[in-house]
Amino acid sequence: MVNGYIARSLTEALKIRAEKDVVPYAGGTDLMVENRKDVEYLFINKVPELKKISVDDEYVRIGAGVTFTEALENNDVPELMKEAVSRIAAPAIRNAGTFGGNLGNGSAKADSVLIEFVTDSKLCLASEKGERIVDVDKFYLGRKKLDLKSDELIKEILIPKKGIDNYSYEKVGGRNALAISRISFAGVFGTENGRIVKAAAAFGAVSDTVLRFKDIEEKLIGKTIDEAKAIKDEYLKAYAERMVLTRGRVSAEYRKSVCMNLLKEFLSKNGI
Amino acid sequence: MAEIRFVLNGKEETYTGSLSDRLLDVLRDVYRCTSVKCGCKEGECGACSVLIDGTLYNSCCVAMGAVEGSSIVTMESFRETKRFEALEKAFGELSAVQCGFCIPGMVLAAEALLSKNPHPTEDEIRDGLSGNLCRCTGYNAIVNAVNNAAKEGNGLW
Amino acid sequence: MEKISQSVVKKDHAPKISGRSIYVADYPSEGVLCGKILHSKVARARIKGVDVPELPEGYFYVDARDVPGDNNVNIVLDDTPVFCRETVEYIGEPIAMICGPDPAKVEEIRDACIVNYEELEPVLDFRSADEKFFDYNFGHGDVDKAFKEADKVYEEEFETGYQEQGYLETQGMMAEPEEGGRMFVHGSAQCAYYIHGAVKRVLGCDSDGVHILQDVTGGGFGGKEAFPSILGCEVAVAARKCNKPVRCVFDRREDMEYTSKRHPSLCHYKAAVKDGRVTALDIDVKFNAGAYSTLSAVVLQRGIIASPGIYNVPNVRVHGWAVKTNTTPCGAYRGFGGPQTFFAIEMLMDHIAADLGKDSLEFKEAHLVKEGDVTSTNGKYHFPVPVKDMIEEIDKACDYRKKRAEYKKPQSGRYRRGIGMSMYFHGAGFTGSGERDLIKAVAKLRKYKDGRVEVLASNGEIGQGVRTTFPKIVANELDIPLDRVFYDHPDTARVPDSGPTVASRSLMVVGELLRRAAIKLKEQWADGEEQEVEERFKEPDFLIPFYLDKFEGDAYPTYAWAVNAIELEIDTYTGRAKVLGAYGNFDVGTPADYNIVLGQMEGGFLQGIGYASIEKMEYDNKGRIRNNSYSDYLMPTTKDVPNLKCMLHVEKYPEGPYGAKGAGELPLVGATSAYLEAVEQALGGVKLNHAPFTAEDTLAVIEKEGV
Repeated sequence: MVNGYIARSLTEALKIRAEKDVVPYAGGTDLMVENRKDVEYLFINKVPELKKISVDDEYVRIGAGVTFTEALENNDVPELMKEAVSRIAAPAIRNAGTFGGNLGNGSAKADSVLIEFVTDSKLCLASEKGERIVDVDKFYLGRKKLDLKSDELIKEILIPKKGIDNYSYEKVGGRNALAISRISFAGVFGTENGRIVKAAAAFGAVSDTVLRFKDIEEKLIGKTIDEAKAIKDEYLKAYAERMVLTRGRVSAEYRKSVCMNLLKEFLSKNGI
Repeated sequence: MAEIRFVLNGKEETYTGSLSDRLLDVLRDVYRCTSVKCGCKEGECGACSVLIDGTLYNSCCVAMGAVEGSSIVTMESFRETKRFEALEKAFGELSAVQCGFCIPGMVLAAEALLSKNPHPTEDEIRDGLSGNLCRCTGYNAIVNAVNNAAKEGNGLW
Repeated sequence: MEKISQSVVKKDHAPKISGRSIYVADYPSEGVLCGKILHSKVARARIKGVDVPELPEGYFYVDARDVPGDNNVNIVLDDTPVFCRETVEYIGEPIAMICGPDPAKVEEIRDACIVNYEELEPVLDFRSADEKFFDYNFGHGDVDKAFKEADKVYEEEFETGYQEQGYLETQGMMAEPEEGGRMFVHGSAQCAYYIHGAVKRVLGCDSDGVHILQDVTGGGFGGKEAFPSILGCEVAVAARKCNKPVRCVFDRREDMEYTSKRHPSLCHYKAAVKDGRVTALDIDVKFNAGAYSTLSAVVLQRGIIASPGIYNVPNVRVHGWAVKTNTTPCGAYRGFGGPQTFFAIEMLMDHIAADLGKDSLEFKEAHLVKEGDVTSTNGKYHFPVPVKDMIEEIDKACDYRKKRAEYKKPQSGRYRRGIGMSMYFHGAGFTGSGERDLIKAVAKLRKYKDGRVEVLASNGEIGQGVRTTFPKIVANELDIPLDRVFYDHPDTARVPDSGPTVASRSLMVVGELLRRAAIKLKEQWADGEEQEVEERFKEPDFLIPFYLDKFEGDAYPTYAWAVNAIELEIDTYTGRAKVLGAYGNFDVGTPADYNIVLGQMEGGFLQGIGYASIEKMEYDNKGRIRNNSYSDYLMPTTKDVPNLKCMLHVEKYPEGPYGAKGAGELPLVGATSAYLEAVEQALGGVKLNHAPFTAEDTLAVIEKEGV
């Protein structure tokens, strides 16, 4: 019995991925807890092409195999992302856990994924046939359902470089370390010439996927702060109606209250 | 059977079990590194902490396929070092060891922290040890011991 | 600092920190069978049969039919079976044990066993449960009259949840048949002789037919008081049948779901107040015992004895009952009933004070007991009660009164602060006459020809330091270097029964026996000779004898006292609380080793803070524990508290070694009410009555009260 494959290059990894029914193993922190006996792993934790962090004109590109600790020690990774991953579990988990794994596990509690949602990040997916770029919110099809074909691997996360400096981030866990998010919130706000150009708000760990309602965000776009204040109630009401949350170790009601509080705080921090 | 080559406590080893075997189980059962404790098997307690290529990992959350070509250090070899001596002394002076079950992992977490940050603040120590649960001490003595080791072991890290 | 209190490097420090210590799971597996328990999956059912798959050679199925002696584990009563009888009474109850050389194969066989259940209606609602395991009544004064004459009557119910001991090393025991038919049982445990008594009865052999060794033990906190007797019996029966060594080490989920934890409680209090003073308390304490009685009798006794708190109330009536539900049996956990009732009385006093327009601290101080006062069971506080001084010391350490006044003012904004205080005791040693009538501790010293002295006692090192403090006492009396005195892990084959490692008794009771033995040995000391001396427990003369049937007399010879203050900040958007400071002032008499005792205080205090805040465990509507892993049951990490500020106030106990009293449990007992008082204040003076009080609870109050 072959019980897994160790890939030494991306080419080799994609070849095995195309030919075999394998589960990609990046950091192992989720897979080893599940401890499924019926799968074969494709070990990509030492694939050099997946371990790079680079910057181009538009994006900071984080390799799917980059660990959270590596990101924290890198100068190009945006502060918002650093803040979120610095709160993940504890050092040993951050040393192992990767950006690709956080995505591939498909959980709405993934702390790096929340940031990818709120920043409109894109993912580069690779297969032997080539690469394709997808928006992160399109990548998530539902609870634990991903737009990832059986011959594909997540190669890179593309985080926009600009327009994400003015952010809010809040993680509500059961304790201050080794805590899985019970509610997480990230917001990015921007104005140009006195008018709002960005009011992104994303909620993690409260539903099957990260929640973001771009149509509600639209209500604020193009408005001045005073105009935004005038429609604040309507805006909040729209969120309150749309947020149908699931229960977990905490109730759906608690989650909703916290989400609304954090959303209000996000507005008020930006003068609304 | 696959062959996984790695270095364990300075010695080259070849493991011929399954790639998906848990490093924790292999270290304990095959190589008799019983300083590596099993507390939860889900990365939530740190009792199974080891150093892989100098970095702290929970060995319960590592499959053997991931350690091909790596060098693993457990307390079985770390206890022969000067750095261990400094930590041992500091922990001893404050009676920071009670039941002892979390301690080998805790000490390796301290080593990982001090290797990166030889003069940590209390908050940095608390962050460095935050993946290692201890139910006995309330952490005071452990945090203070690491602080003392960093000061008294000046130059070791 | 007294000489005895000066800290030394602990005797087990080097082997533990270097990872050389061998815990039960660390013995080599060669020739040892792995045992795994087939647990009941339903809360209550008649077992019609078990379809066991065909067993490969070398694999065994062990159940009640294989018990050579009596299928009842001796704890307090004998209702806990080794393997289930015709019914199962909780999810997790052991039906059988599968044994074999390969753990994976054993697990596969276990999971392939089909248990045919005839399901019965379980009792899961603790509130309505009424099958009593134990039922006690006691009191003093004329309660009815006091209520008739009261200016005002207060009535309130307090609720506390489970608490999991959370020791890092899960339960694990191993049994090895020896030549001549003797059975050797060893593992992670607190009470070697409890296991000895249980196993010999189950194997149907005499005292020499079995011996028990306590291995290096990775934490107990009470969780390894009774449970190892059950698991020890199971592996012993299995080893007898397989005629090979059998080891069973629980995984974390098994341990959290199926082993004993702190009793959930419902405490109903009625208080009569006249002229600003509490004149009467009418108390009903109900504990959820779970499916079998295990230690519930004694846990309940300690809980109800403490139920009036440390206040002098002239008229008291207490009813305590422990009821059966079809859930995991509860048992011992540090504090042993005290944390539940001290929580209730402390919150009640706080609430009455608020209603009377007084501050909690001032109101409590006005009611404090003092030396010579009568205890709840008509015993006497024989020694000075240092609580007033301890309050002043705490006030000085954290500026309590000033902060309390400051945070009382209206607060606004996202973050709000509060500070709270609790005061309480822990009765030192066994409750009632247990020490005199049941334990009758014996301790010995053996001097070897080379002048080394060995401590022979049965109290296990579980992290609390007895391997160090016992030798310290002996070395001190003999005036010889500490490295000449040693104390190994107890094996019942070679140590006398000095009693179990429970009730904060080891140092105070057995330590004193050893001190006296050392004095005796010094008198007889003869160089180059092997010598042995023995000391037996003798009840102190001053005690008012305790009678359980009347619930009267001195329940404890003396008390360890504590005052806690906790300061915190609430995030009103998320409900999360941040502990800004935790201050504990503990009087455990003379510390036998300053660092060791301080470590006990700090560790226990943090467990108490966890109990107050984040350690929530519940069962679902099938009776299954939901929080069955370290990711679902949250214990504090390094980042959840700042350095705890613990201090020791010394009020010596003349019958304890150098004035030492019980220490281990005290620090956990009262953190909850200090924490909740602080939460109440941060939320603008609301009244809270259940613990743990989580972020979710906090936000619910904020929304309800419009804080």
